[in-house]
Amino acid sequence: MARSIRIHQLKLNYAQQVVFDGLDWAIGSGENWLLSGASGSGKTSLAKVLAGLTSSHGRMEVCFDAASPLPACVMYVESWYQFKNLEGVANFYYQQRYTSLQTKDVITVGAELEAFGAENGLQPGGLQQLASGFGFSNLMGSTLLELSSGEHKKLQLLKALWLKPQFLIIDQPYTGLDSRSRTVLNTLLDQAAASGVQLILISNGTELPACINRFAELVDGMLLQHNSSPQREEAAETPLAALPEFLRTRPAYATDEVVRMENVNISYGNKQVLKNITWEIRAGEKWLLQGHNGSGKSTLLSLINGDHPQAYANTIYLFGRRRGSGESIWDIKQHIGLISPELHWYFDAGATVFQSIASGFFDSIGLYRQPGYRQSRQVDELISFLGLSEHRNELLSTLPLGKQRLALLGRTIIKNPELLVLDEPCQGLDDRQTQHFNRLVDALSVNGMTLIYVGHFDAALPACIEKKIVLEQGEVKLAEDLFERI
Amino acid sequence: MANYFNTLPLREKLNQLGVCEFMDSAEFSDGVEALKGKKLVIVGCGAQGLNQGLNLRDSGLDISYALRKEAIESKRDSWKNATENNFRVGTYEELIPSADLVVNLTPDKQHTSVVNAVMPLMKQGATLLYSHGFNIVEEGMQVRKDITVIMVAPKCPGSEVRAEYARGFGVPTLIAVHPENDPEGKGLEQAKAYCVGTGGHRAGVLRSSFVAEVKSDLMGEQTILCGLLQTGSILSFDKMIEKGIEPGYASKLVQYGVEVITEALKQGGITAMMDRLSNVAKIKAFELSEELKTIMRPLFQKHQDDIMSGEFSRTMMEDWANGDEKLLTWRAATGETAFEKTPAGDVKIGEQEYFDNALLMVAFIRAGVELAFETMVEAGIKPESAYYESLHETPLIANTIARKKLFEMNRVISDTAEYGCYLFDHACKPLLADFMARIDTDVIGRNFNEGKDGAVDNRALISVNEVIRNHQVEQVGAELRKAMTAMKAIKTA
Repeated sequence: MARSIRIHQLKLNYAQQVVFDGLDWAIGSGENWLLSGASGSGKTSLAKVLAGLTSSHGRMEVCFDAASPLPACVMYVESWYQFKNLEGVANFYYQQRYTSLQTKDVITVGAELEAFGAENGLQPGGLQQLASGFGFSNLMGSTLLELSSGEHKKLQLLKALWLKPQFLIIDQPYTGLDSRSRTVLNTLLDQAAASGVQLILISNGTELPACINRFAELVDGMLLQHNSSPQREEAAETPLAALPEFLRTRPAYATDEVVRMENVNISYGNKQVLKNITWEIRAGEKWLLQGHNGSGKSTLLSLINGDHPQAYANTIYLFGRRRGSGESIWDIKQHIGLISPELHWYFDAGATVFQSIASGFFDSIGLYRQPGYRQSRQVDELISFLGLSEHRNELLSTLPLGKQRLALLGRTIIKNPELLVLDEPCQGLDDRQTQHFNRLVDALSVNGMTLIYVGHFDAALPACIEKKIVLEQGEVKLAEDLFERI
Repeated sequence: MANYFNTLPLREKLNQLGVCEFMDSAEFSDGVEALKGKKLVIVGCGAQGLNQGLNLRDSGLDISYALRKEAIESKRDSWKNATENNFRVGTYEELIPSADLVVNLTPDKQHTSVVNAVMPLMKQGATLLYSHGFNIVEEGMQVRKDITVIMVAPKCPGSEVRAEYARGFGVPTLIAVHPENDPEGKGLEQAKAYCVGTGGHRAGVLRSSFVAEVKSDLMGEQTILCGLLQTGSILSFDKMIEKGIEPGYASKLVQYGVEVITEALKQGGITAMMDRLSNVAKIKAFELSEELKTIMRPLFQKHQDDIMSGEFSRTMMEDWANGDEKLLTWRAATGETAFEKTPAGDVKIGEQEYFDNALLMVAFIRAGVELAFETMVEAGIKPESAYYESLHETPLIANTIARKKLFEMNRVISDTAEYGCYLFDHACKPLLADFMARIDTDVIGRNFNEGKDGAVDNRALISVNEVIRNHQVEQVGAELRKAMTAMKAIKTA
């Protein structure tokens, strides 16, 4: 019997909201699909229905090919992946991976993959080839906690490509991957398709593997089919609403020298992750920080945000003060608004949208102090500016990823900080949201905020960027002005 | 060395037992000022040592680690932990003489030898900090009169101390100054500053004394916290197996049940925990727990009496001298229990099911918390201290059982707590033999509400509710929980 998945009259509600009300979809033999749609359109919900992870009303039939050597299953690779420590708890904090600790309570990449292989009866040979293709071979001894967000994504992709299920659904396959890894991934996906895996990729991206031959888009709970990747119409430039008053003033700088690093070196045991970094950032500069996955970008930023223990043994000046001269990390953080995939990953699951944004005043992960009257007013102004008013009192973790991201972006700017550190801020946002967000960054930049921006997609950067620093294997490969100042 | 507490006249015993004040956050407005620019030297770099040091340094304080020469030369884990995080590390001789504050974060058992080694090296007028008062109170360590002796005890494992600080919060902490060693009157200010440095001031600080801390801590850990959780877990599991409940289910129900049940305790005390049961089930659990309290009260009293008289620490120190013979035998026996050896089954148990199907566990926990609290208060310990060492810590310990059962619990707690836990467990099980013979699976293993129409007598329910809600542990608890502003739901498996 031919391989297929058929969905008939699917109905699904999520938190009293109707997501699908009679959706039909037929996935035939040999078809590789792209599923796109705006943030919150139900892409992830639909994928979970296909994988049998969500119960829904309606009929779904999955037929596997009994003659195929591939495992008869539908595998779903989440965009958001949670792991636990050896004691079964997931009580991590985002700064944890920078601290050296002898007792390892989180398993290694190698052990994780070995367990996955044993569970599914897979040959180690297939893995080695995939891992080296992804530049992943030297990470086998690292614990899961030490991986960057891009490396976590690769680990999940490796498992899926090693297993080669008959149906493989990947939610946001390119998130967090550098451009070289995206090319490698497309080659590997084409190879998987050629060996009989049927793919369903959930993405709004345009760099797709050649094997994709069907295109669907979720719009208002319905599945629209297209002949090619749906052209995102150039979002009409809806004018940005006026910034809230408190964001229209220049942040108060104590000094013009925001960051100065001299010959900074960071290593764990014999593994050196940053080598001789010298970098200076002056008030109001807008920097782009780039580098491949694992090149040391997050470590570099952690030094600036007071999150790295080894900052104390290096020559680093932040906001005019030498690190390790008696300042506290809270003194540093009050100058900075930070977002990163790791911060989002380990954010307080019990915080509402309001609490999450308000916690930016105190630089805490979740809210532990009562904001004052004026602070609460600012939070509400920002919530309305970001279009999140209807979600004000909902738990952050229950919103679609794109909206969670927006709320955490609100958290970074709530105190109108001198320095904005945006580490892949648009992961999980759709094109329109990304564009909207970058225009917001541009608007903020006008008032003199200093910026460090990390992004892997050159086409999706704010216009205000004027300087660029590139890391390669822990070293500065390039630092330049992007254009002559006029 | 003589037991310090026993050298005191009764008036002074009561005076020190009675030090207990929940501190207002305004008391910490000077931040770390009292320790700013001072040299803090931590002795020991295990979980508490490393994590407290990371927090203190991130609060702007000057931290280094003094380790024994052998630990440095053979590059032990403690040496690696400290150096790889860029702390200065040196021998006692190198670092202690210049230290303004020496922080002793080694295990209880080593305190006497560590303090004897560092004391002659400490400069005039320096401060010695403990995180537990056993050495001072039970062993009677005499510290040089020019040295200030203080205690700062975060009430959580070291990893939590760091995790909560990094999130911008902290863990509840207890602080004290030893009245025999406060020559300059600076002890309290330094203890408060240290507490701010570890983040504890954000989560609630109780001012106590060395004596009150030791006598209540020992009582809590031996009885409700570890002892009764161990006894209750084993008896509940064995009963289910005896009555034919599937072992994987029984194992999971107990292992994760203690955590889920005590989560309600953490949020809203005994009242909230009992309110998770239906009315009929609540009345049944109440009756069982009343019966348990009557049976176990003499045992709780014996533990408290032995702690107060010093008998407990005397026998335990005998075991130390004996190479931990009893401790090691009991530890091995715990590893061999059927509960320990039966892995949790791959069955889904809903949150409410942990209450409905484990009514006996709820009864054990109510009986244990109330008994420990009542016994401590009767012995002269203040209700706030008694609350911390009974109800407050129960969910933290239950959390370790959920991770890896009793073995994990006994690994995480101190050797002192572990020794006391086994002592209690071995005396308690025979005491409950008759009671357990009458227990069936309606109260452990199956849903108590099944086949009942749920009807109760109004007056019976009202009087049960009154007894539960008007207990002193509930009144004190409501006040203290309000003060601990943010209590976060622990992540259940």
